[in-house]
Amino acid sequence: MRPSRREFLWTMGAAAATVALKGTQDVFWTAEESADVGWAPGIEERRNSACLICPSRCGISGRLVDGRLVRISGNPLHPLSRGGLCPRGVAGVQLLYHPERLTSPLVRAGPRGADQWEEATPDEAIARIADQLQALRAAGRPEALALAAGYSAGTMHDLWRQFLSSFGSPNYVADEYEDGTDAVMASMHGIQRRPSYDLDRARLVLSFGAPLFESWWSPLQAFVAFASPDEDEGPRPRFVQVDARFSRTASRAHEWVGVRPGTHAVLALGIAYVLIRDELFDADFVARHVSGFEDFVDADGQPREGYRSLVTRNYRTEEVSAITGVPVERITSLARAFAANRPAVAVCGTDVTFAPNGLLAGLAVHSLNVLTGSINRPGGVLFADDAPIQPLPSPVLDETARAGLAHEPVGSPRPRFGNGGEALRFAEAVAGGEAAVEALLLYYANPIASSTHPSVWREALAKIPFVVSFSPFMDETARHADVILPDLLPYERWQDAPTPVSYPYPVWGLARPLVEPREGMTHTGDAVLTVARSLGGGVGQSLPYESFELLLQQRARGLFSVRRGMTLGDEFDRKHHSQMEERGWWLPEHTEFGPFWDELVERGGWTDLFYDDTDPHRFARTESGRIELMPAALLHVLNQEGSARELYIDVAHRAGQTPAGFPLRLIPYRVSTLASGTLALERWLAEQPGIFPDVLWVPWVEVAPETARALDMGDDTDVWVVSQRGRYRARLKVSHGTAHGNVGAPYGLRHPDGTAASPLQLLDGSYDPLTGLASWLSTFVRLERA
Amino acid sequence: MARWGMVIDLDRCTGCAACEVACKSENNIPTVSPDQANMGRAMNWMKVTAELEGEFPDTTMHFYPRPCMHCDNPPCIRVCPVQATYIDDEGIVGQIYPRCIGCRYCANACPYMVKYFNWYGPEWAESERQHLNPDVSVRPKGVIEKCTLCHHRLQKAREDARAEERELREQDYQPACAEICPTGAIVFGDLDNPSHRVASLKEDPRAMRLMEDLGTQPKVYYLRPRE
Amino acid sequence: MRQDVKEKMARMSADEQVLLRPLVETSRGFYIVAAILTAITLLGVISYYLQVSFGLGRTGLNRPGYWGIYIICFVFFIGISHAGTLISAILRVSKAEWRRSITRSAELITVLVIGFGAIQPIIDLGRPDRVLNVMLHAQMLSPLLWDVTSIGLYFISCTIYLYVPLLPDLAIIRDSGIKAPRFYRFLAAGYRDTPAQRARLERVIGVLSIVVIPIAVSVHTVIGWIFAMTLRPMWHSTIFGPYFVMGAIYSGIAAILVAMVVLRRAFGLQQYFKLIHFDYLGRLLLLFSLLWFYFTFAEYLTAFYGGEPGEMRAFWAKLTGPFAIPFWTMVMGCFVVPLALMSRQSMRTPRGTLIAGIAVMIGMWLERFNIVVPTSVNPRWEIEAIGRYVPSWIELSIMAATFSGFILLYMVATKFVPIVSIWEIKEGREHSVREVADRVAEYLPAGELAAAAEDK
Ligand SMILES: Nc1nc2c(c(=O)[nH]1)N[C@H]1C(S)=C(S)[C@@H](COP(=O)(O)OP(=O)(O)OC[C@H]3O[C@@H](n4cnc5c(=O)[nH]c(N)nc54)[C@H](O)[C@@H]3O)O[C@H]1N2
Ligand SMILES: Nc1nc2c(c(=O)[nH]1)N[C@H]1C(S)=C(S)[C@@H](COP(=O)(O)OP(=O)(O)OC[C@H]3O[C@@H](n4cnc5c(=O)[nH]c(N)nc54)[C@H](O)[C@@H]3O)O[C@H]1N2
Ligand code: SF4
Ligand code: SF4
Ligand code: SF4
Ligand code: SF4
Ligand code: SF4
Ligand SMILES: [Mo]
Repeated sequence: MRPSRREFLWTMGAAAATVALKGTQDVFWTAEESADVGWAPGIEERRNSACLICPSRCGISGRLVDGRLVRISGNPLHPLSRGGLCPRGVAGVQLLYHPERLTSPLVRAGPRGADQWEEATPDEAIARIADQLQALRAAGRPEALALAAGYSAGTMHDLWRQFLSSFGSPNYVADEYEDGTDAVMASMHGIQRRPSYDLDRARLVLSFGAPLFESWWSPLQAFVAFASPDEDEGPRPRFVQVDARFSRTASRAHEWVGVRPGTHAVLALGIAYVLIRDELFDADFVARHVSGFEDFVDADGQPREGYRSLVTRNYRTEEVSAITGVPVERITSLARAFAANRPAVAVCGTDVTFAPNGLLAGLAVHSLNVLTGSINRPGGVLFADDAPIQPLPSPVLDETARAGLAHEPVGSPRPRFGNGGEALRFAEAVAGGEAAVEALLLYYANPIASSTHPSVWREALAKIPFVVSFSPFMDETARHADVILPDLLPYERWQDAPTPVSYPYPVWGLARPLVEPREGMTHTGDAVLTVARSLGGGVGQSLPYESFELLLQQRARGLFSVRRGMTLGDEFDRKHHSQMEERGWWLPEHTEFGPFWDELVERGGWTDLFYDDTDPHRFARTESGRIELMPAALLHVLNQEGSARELYIDVAHRAGQTPAGFPLRLIPYRVSTLASGTLALERWLAEQPGIFPDVLWVPWVEVAPETARALDMGDDTDVWVVSQRGRYRARLKVSHGTAHGNVGAPYGLRHPDGTAASPLQLLDGSYDPLTGLASWLSTFVRLERA
Repeated sequence: MARWGMVIDLDRCTGCAACEVACKSENNIPTVSPDQANMGRAMNWMKVTAELEGEFPDTTMHFYPRPCMHCDNPPCIRVCPVQATYIDDEGIVGQIYPRCIGCRYCANACPYMVKYFNWYGPEWAESERQHLNPDVSVRPKGVIEKCTLCHHRLQKAREDARAEERELREQDYQPACAEICPTGAIVFGDLDNPSHRVASLKEDPRAMRLMEDLGTQPKVYYLRPRE
Repeated sequence: MRQDVKEKMARMSADEQVLLRPLVETSRGFYIVAAILTAITLLGVISYYLQVSFGLGRTGLNRPGYWGIYIICFVFFIGISHAGTLISAILRVSKAEWRRSITRSAELITVLVIGFGAIQPIIDLGRPDRVLNVMLHAQMLSPLLWDVTSIGLYFISCTIYLYVPLLPDLAIIRDSGIKAPRFYRFLAAGYRDTPAQRARLERVIGVLSIVVIPIAVSVHTVIGWIFAMTLRPMWHSTIFGPYFVMGAIYSGIAAILVAMVVLRRAFGLQQYFKLIHFDYLGRLLLLFSLLWFYFTFAEYLTAFYGGEPGEMRAFWAKLTGPFAIPFWTMVMGCFVVPLALMSRQSMRTPRGTLIAGIAVMIGMWLERFNIVVPTSVNPRWEIEAIGRYVPSWIELSIMAATFSGFILLYMVATKFVPIVSIWEIKEGREHSVREVADRVAEYLPAGELAAAAEDK
């Protein structure tokens, strides 16, 4: 049938009208639509606290409206961060209100790792944990308990130690930031402590690969020194960055020195050579405080070359230049600048120590501080004190505990100079069946995602019958747990927040709840105390605290009675206090602990901004009382090992032969906006990860234009990064900030679908046997089109 | 009458992007999905852009934190057909969200690319709605938004000052980005008030403005990095 | 065809028979084509519905690619609209007699396409529900408002300019009674073609054709200014006003040519659209291809010679960068093809002009693309990332719907009005031949020269 024209038009019209009518309801908005945020504000409040996201522990100030945390800004009273924050700290509100946060404790309901869970109440979950642990003790196997703990400076750390000791377990497995500098200090100074750097008062900061502005102990400490708020007290320090790639730090330092990967320490010794040759070093300091500079006779009666001879013989500037790629004049001028701009300080970063010769390289870098006498002087390397909080009483050790503690920790023996790679050794021992661990607690640790060897960890977990995770999120390792008892998030809990050792003054920051804790969640500290109470016996006696908050109050009594320091105060207070203490005065502001505590909480912590540089113990605690450039213990170990390695000789990691088929050197680095973590990302941070404005959310790798041309790959190609151990997918970015032949690989990123893109899992597995620290710079890869 | 403006010291800026995130948090700036972000639809009222020059190893890099310039002669407001973007007496260039028709002409007219468009309606997970700042309205889909100099803070500061019967002081009104900057690179205040730091900083020999030759007269000054 | 209509048709003049036939007779092909076009148009309507309910995010637009297909189509369609009015007005004013059979089809294009062009920026709005704010809060400094004004004026004047010369034909249809008598009685508005009415009609047409020219020129000038008033590289150019007007006329001529070829075949109008028409219009096309080259060359040379970095980024993006393909295709379509074809007499045939016309239409669409997109995605501030813009299928289907909707409407219109002006042809036959002879005689020097010589 042929439709008439009229019918045809009508049909068309009707169809159009139907669509139009149906559309209008959804199509037209009302003018008021979402003009406000969806809730009416009421009571406003500001509370100071501390950021617990990275070791820096900056001071924060939370803006609360009706009990919601609306903004995190800086606490201007905090002496380290002075009101500034890094983006991760600001984005904390998105951590607190993260949609992926667990909503209740979980108990495994299906097979391990099958992601089948039953919800439980906190009491049930805690009881479950206590029962299992009680059984271990009852069976006389307390040593079969282990804790893997991430960075937890302060009372949480002490609490765990106390708990494990009184329980009878020697297995505190640290899975945390370790940069190997403590081993350097221990060797040279006999002080088992990481160095503090007085960046604020230095005139020159020479950083050997320390990512000061990105992922250092405290980027905020570096920022504040860089900006030098007390400009009237002298010129701003000059930052010189020695780096293998054009990092953010390199880009904003006043001067950047590009070196070949793995040769930082060679450059340091080249500088030392010039200092010695031109007699620019502090001869007086060396004569008074240093040993091993001149040739000497060692413990076995053998004559040995000292530092001076070794350096003058091996590090002529031409040779150094050939190795490092830094021109001779540049080396000379760096040395001159280092000598002329005193106080100058050389900072040793992980790209020096995370190497097969890491410890020796670290010694080489630090020797510059020794040569110029930048030790224990304003603007140099300091050995600061911890905040004098009240120590926990010695644990009460019952029979069971003593027996348990007599066991070697799982994963022993430790390396001679440090404890790097402890977590991996632990996992290997368990996976290999050398140790029977019955229960594992995971606190701030997610090794399945963060380890260089996740498969070893998977095997280990499979062999441990009872695994507890305290993670507030369903992270990769929590997935393999039997019980998840989610911790409160940082803005909901009490925790002390001591600043990292890199900062030269003790600051005991205090994080306190800004908002009401989410229902069903338990502060891990409180959980530990509850478990201890229900275990009773020595464990209960060792931890007789009602709550973690009261425990913190107890510790603060140490600060109240120490007769120095102050609760955090503004710039005037800070100056006033340090000037008074310099003259040996101190005025008590409180006669009662109560008001003192209240003020401490209100201001966000306690500090003591006075450093006593007349204390001789702060130079060295070696037997000789001198700083040992040729540490006897280290020489002894090297001798004993029959190691071919020599002090101040084997400091470079040179790229001898590259494995066939893997022509490019992998340079993993940390993106400054990402937390250490393997944590689910905060969305704001995912939108600002690097310096490439067009790569958001997706993992990328960087190569030089030359490299890209050789590979015939353009910007934005999808590639596989392949090493002998594995591969991952990333987007290729061509950048002039990378040297030809290197692949800059940010780690800690994930694809939007959640798959990890971790260059650390490609690492070749080599490490420094002296410290146990993994080598991060000896891995070679190739790129394939994905 | 105050003339609010900013001086950003590129010599101090480390490109950390705290200002960017603080701005997002303060002003309820929604995030978009990864796909959308990679299409160029992420919103950053404050954007820290990096400029990398030279070839390895003779490279230099500078970071430019870039808010709206609050031009004294803003090309964006003239082109708006409905006066949904305007400049007030104190030089703050604002947006009227309920009036904007979403033509994006102003976005094209702004030489600094500081205007952002709501391609979709804003979305937050239910839990994330809790951290929204009640002082700042949430923008609906289909309209343009940009840096307001944290205008809501000015209003609050002014109310407080009035309540306390005193003049507005420099520290009373500081936008979120200036407040958070860990190196103090962002300085904010009244450009015409000699007692404010910006007034003298903008006369610094290192001071410059972006694309000054366009005659837009930005009220955001940059201090060139020292060499 | 119904019997009575057939009888009525038989009584008409030959011109009327041919030109009114499409009003009363519709082929199966027409329905098929119309159905396809309707389907495409509906798809576009659905796409728009999706776009409005989800947000402009459904397009491929982004930052910095704020503008895309819709704005391109806006400029393009408004450009096409210069086909009719401007060309017919210019030809009328210049008393070009060969215009008689082509003005109607051209004017019809104008009126029908303006709406499709004008709706594009509204489709492009993030908040179409607030479009009335343009009146309520008009901010007259905005070139967009200049545009609203001049397009509005243009639409009104073009409609009148289409309608007035339609009156005598509408009267003919009414009187013939072949179709919808009440409808045509209404439309013809009492026009009886008395000599007085005819004289008034001609006077009105004369005035209109003069008035409409500056309005048409203003429309595309202002559209050019929308871009030129911003400070963006390769937009901020004084040449844009005239450049856009020229381009508009150019694409308009191409559109007429294509329409004529199609109509000629579809309705058997070989006697009306003669080879001479194609020859003349082909020459016009040739002229404009040269003009196009001149403007484009001037525009690009100025940008290149100045060498300002911002400009150069957009410049090279077009010449050798990611936009090289659209750019050089545009040069082919707007210059090489029409020049090569139209410079040859043998090619100024329906077939030749069809090819050239299509080439120019494609070229001119791409020209708009090359203006809008490369500048959008190349911000002046060199630190900003260069953007990317890939239109989504929503945008593409809305564009397809615009084309199909316009063609559909045009097809439907041919069912209601004669596509060649009957009375003007008649007038041509009855008066103009003599009039032109007289006029030409007047141009010639003979008599007056002789008189002057005598005066000496
Ligand atoms: N912002 C931020 N700060 C943090 C943390 C955080 O999550 N975020 N976490 C803390 C933790 S847990 C840690 S472990 C530290 C990590 O701090 P770092 O251990 O310092 O880690 P990265 O930032 O990855 O820095 C490694 C540096 O080594 C360089 N590098 C890589 N390969 C080579 C090479 O072959 N040769 C040389 N010479 N250099 C190379 C890289 O370019 C990079 O600059 O940061 C701590 N601080
Ligand atoms: N992919 C990837 N791997 C890495 C790194 C990386 O950046 N990315 N960095 C490497 C380095 S240097 C290190 S030090 C290690 C660190 O790796 P890990 O020690 O595993 O530390 P994180 O991944 O930072 O955090 C571990 C887990 O702590 C949980 N957590 C977060 N907040 C809280 C809280 O408030 N309370 C409690 N109880 N738990 C919480 C989170 O679920 C998180 O998954 O990883 C190494 N491996
Ligand atoms: S540096 Fe660390 S502690 Fe400080 S704000 Fe950033 S994440 Fe928090
Ligand atoms: S917060 Fe300060 S230092 Fe960081 S990017 Fe912004 S302006 Fe620069
Ligand atoms: S920077 Fe752009 S948006 Fe801001 S006032 Fe200037 S032109 Fe307008
Ligand atoms: S997008 Fe909104 S503010 Fe911008 S020009 Fe259009 S109507 Fe005005
Ligand atoms: S002034 Fe306020 S709105 Fe503007 S960039 Fe800074 S924080 Fe964002
Ligand atoms: Mo770490």
